[in-house]
Amino acid sequence: MCTVGGGPDIGEVETLAARDYECLDCKSKFQGMGRRPMCPPVNQGM
Amino acid sequence: MHIPLSDDEIAYIEGEDGTIALAKSKGRFFYLETEEREVILFTEPEDLMVASSFGRGEKIRRGLHCTLFQLRELGAPLIVLPKGHPASPRLKTVVSIGPFTRLSCTIQPGTHPEQNVLCGSEEFHGLEIVAGPRGAEVKGWLAEGKGAALVVERF
Repeated sequence: MCTVGGGPDIGEVETLAARDYECLDCKSKFQGMGRRPMCPPVNQGM
Repeated sequence: MHIPLSDDEIAYIEGEDGTIALAKSKGRFFYLETEEREVILFTEPEDLMVASSFGRGEKIRRGLHCTLFQLRELGAPLIVLPKGHPASPRLKTVVSIGPFTRLSCTIQPGTHPEQNVLCGSEEFHGLEIVAGPRGAEVKGWLAEGKGAALVVERF
């Protein structure tokens, strides 16, 4: 329903600098980007 | 130009043909969904959510507000379209979230996962929005003062 805009089409290589994380509590694995990673809730939605 | 912005406010930068909305991310995280994978975008409290749309007026402002509200308050995911997707030219709003956003009119809307460049109308091309603890610094807005407007409302 919502979309993102991002890097330019010309001149720059697209990168999505995500790192691999594993939640110490529930052991779920996820990819994240940003300075303060935290365990996201799983299976939220409709 | 400095735009003071608190957690419960939204700012609209209105040009002749486009509108940009700004709100704080409040340190929330966001789900970024590409065709291949899901990446979780973690933010700092002062980081900004920047939404862009063509057009101006109350209807556009409400649409931008709705988009940002769904993302920040309802936890709606950010969807990245594959390049050349037929929905790309039909998008009404696009969003970038992070400490820095540069507006560009040369990108394909909604097809890029990076969170530092955002599609906007031509008058906003090159405009830079930098997040700070007290709001946003907007640089390079050439149309500032020429029929442009800044509106800050309660989020």
